[in-house]
Amino acid sequence: MARLSQSTRLHLAVTVLMCVFVSADGVSLNDLLERASQLSDKLHSLSTSLTNDLDSHFPPMGKIMRPSMCHTSSLQIPNDKDQTLRVPENELLSLARSLLLAWSDPLALLSSEATTLPHPERNTINSKTRELQDHTNSLGAGLERLVHKMGPSSEALSSLPFHNNDLGQDRISRLVNFHFLLSCFRRDSHKIDSFLKVLRCRAAKMRPEMC
Amino acid sequence: MMWIDSGTMPLLTLSVFFLLLSPATSTSAPGRPRVTSCRSPEKETFTCWWEPGDDGGLPTTYALYYCLEGSETVYECPDYKTAGKNSCFFSKNDTSLWINYNISVVATNAEGKSVSEPVEVDVVYIVQPKTPESVMVSVLEDDHGPYLRVSWDKPRSADTRSGWITLVYQLRVKQVKEENWEEYDAGMQKYYNVFSLHSGKEYMVQVRCKPDHGFWSEWTTPAYIQMPDFIPRERSMWIMVAVFSAFILLIFAWTMNVKRSSVKHYLLPPIPGPKIRGFDQQLLKSGKSEEVFNALVIQGFPPTTNYEDLLVEYLEVYDDVKQELVLNGKNLPEGLLKSKTMSSDNDSGRGSCDSRTLLMEKCAEGVEESGMEQELSQFGESSWASSDSGEDRENPASPRQEDRKVQTWPPVFSSPQPHHFQQQQPGGTRASYHSVPEISCRSPPGHSSGGQQNRFSKPGFYQYTQMHSMDSIEHKHVAQVPQSQSAEYVEVQTVDPENILLLRPLANAEGHDPELSDFAGEDYSKVRDVTSDNILLLQRDLSGPQYVRDYCQDQSGQVDPCFMQLQQVEQTCKPTNVHLHLPSLMLQDGMRLAGNGYVDSTIMMS
Repeated sequence: MARLSQSTRLHLAVTVLMCVFVSADGVSLNDLLERASQLSDKLHSLSTSLTNDLDSHFPPMGKIMRPSMCHTSSLQIPNDKDQTLRVPENELLSLARSLLLAWSDPLALLSSEATTLPHPERNTINSKTRELQDHTNSLGAGLERLVHKMGPSSEALSSLPFHNNDLGQDRISRLVNFHFLLSCFRRDSHKIDSFLKVLRCRAAKMRPEMC
Repeated sequence: MMWIDSGTMPLLTLSVFFLLLSPATSTSAPGRPRVTSCRSPEKETFTCWWEPGDDGGLPTTYALYYCLEGSETVYECPDYKTAGKNSCFFSKNDTSLWINYNISVVATNAEGKSVSEPVEVDVVYIVQPKTPESVMVSVLEDDHGPYLRVSWDKPRSADTRSGWITLVYQLRVKQVKEENWEEYDAGMQKYYNVFSLHSGKEYMVQVRCKPDHGFWSEWTTPAYIQMPDFIPRERSMWIMVAVFSAFILLIFAWTMNVKRSSVKHYLLPPIPGPKIRGFDQQLLKSGKSEEVFNALVIQGFPPTTNYEDLLVEYLEVYDDVKQELVLNGKNLPEGLLKSKTMSSDNDSGRGSCDSRTLLMEKCAEGVEESGMEQELSQFGESSWASSDSGEDRENPASPRQEDRKVQTWPPVFSSPQPHHFQQQQPGGTRASYHSVPEISCRSPPGHSSGGQQNRFSKPGFYQYTQMHSMDSIEHKHVAQVPQSQSAEYVEVQTVDPENILLLRPLANAEGHDPELSDFAGEDYSKVRDVTSDNILLLQRDLSGPQYVRDYCQDQSGQVDPCFMQLQQVEQTCKPTNVHLHLPSLMLQDGMRLAGNGYVDSTIMMS
């Protein structure tokens, strides 16, 4: 017993710690928020690179359709920093969750359309779209856990329905609509990321070096 | 210019007049300006810069107008000053996030105006922070030597504390005189340790930062630092090792130098000069080659005395009081040396050393009456002694006097105790090699054997014996053979009662016994037995058992000692491997039968 090897001791220590954590409080809030903000960061980076891939062969088509026509534009969100910092945490979380939830259907549509998109970078776009979907689902699950942690007041959700069933019939409209949807998602993912990072630093008052 | 008519002349003159009068530049509407970039340093404000186009020669004013998406209201830039020339600064109040700004610049002059291309800007995508601040570099020490510690602060305007903006940092280091930078990512921390820098060199350090989704800031102004002079630990250790080993080498070299001569003697032992006995260098120098070479001649070379010892065997048969038969032979070549060594041991000694001369003496004594002596010499190539048809000369009429070949016995195992006669066990052979010297053979001068037919002590056998009798009687038994040195086979036809070995040449293939011709290639035969009549019973080979029997039957009609022998030793006709089966009879004292059917007898040295 006295001659336990290094690795065995390490395993033992980790197991004990994990048991303590799980039994005590599960994963801490800080760790949950840290994990969530990492996911949202990844989500936004993916959407940015996807937009770049889409724009690589076609000129920017943002002028045709306005971002104000995104299906999430009805959600009231803070516009600048002062407003954001004044929003309470649970509301911030609720906003993030609402936004995220609003994109589950559109992302499914994007995913299915990406396979037949008339674009030279279709394969890359397809794989990245799938990744986008996976990350969104993971983040959604994480945010649900956060809700349990932070209390019932953060359970409020805004409904942001998405009504379109397809991206259009002809090639041009399909491409344009795909691009438009993607730009809407890119912005919304930035919102989610910003809110979660504010939440992270607000919860980590004990660790000033991180924020 | 033929088309210039009178109507255009006044116009031309007027325009020329105006050109001359008016200033050099012409005026026109301004060219289109261009919005070059918009940046937000902290995600709270932003600035846009434009590039003026051609101003058309007139004072031109620029105005920036923007409108927000979803609204048609056009606003003009609130602040043209703060950010410098050709810029527009949007303050906090004028900045909204996650919304597109449609910005355009209008250039106006007296001639007209022009509008730039509109630019869509979302503030959150154009974040580029200011450079980090308060970059400090210091040299610290640890076990492995000095290293650099670089620390900095975030740009003042960035609000990372609330999490509004998240910054990651990067620094780069290079020697002042070098060209290539070494870049390090520091993450979100505000310090960094740089190791493995060269001693005594001056380094410069720069830091920059980037938001989580945005552009890199500019590099800070370089910070210079001088690394102290130090010797890396590994190098100092190597230096010590080198010094120590050099010291050891020096000691070693000095020792070798002191013991120079003995070392040289050890490594390069002096080669002994050639020692040729009798060789006198002085003689050589004197130049008389004859004397030199004469001096080289050694008496007694080549050694002839022990020739027989070296060579093959011969059969020593001598008939002394105790009727000992010595059969000696040996197989070449291993027997050669052994015989020499063993010759002094176990045998009577008669068969060894100087046997030739010895034999000759003794033969000369005993064979006086015959007057003819021929030695049967042994020859080293095989165990065959060759004898010429000495008897041919003697008794040409005798059939036995045809070419006779004497063949020596192969090595016979002889027991070391000559007086002892015992039957050897098959496996109990004792090898003692005797080199039997020559046997003087003397042809029996017209003795009774002359009337005898060719008698074979063993029918059909190649009989190789070199009988040498050393005793007083022995010389009579000597069959004479010429001193030819060639190896020929002879057959011992018989040994008559007078102990004379009658030989006959074996190469005779004149309708002789077919068995014999068959056995022409046979080299050896073994003496199985020696009868009381001093008849050698030769061992029949396995290959021809039939012949034995046939021959036995053939010879049965012959009245001769052979027949008698045959009758006596009927067993010998059996085609058995009689190597190991030795008849119990016919063995007399002083005779031994070694295994393999060899008769082993040692010479009795009385």
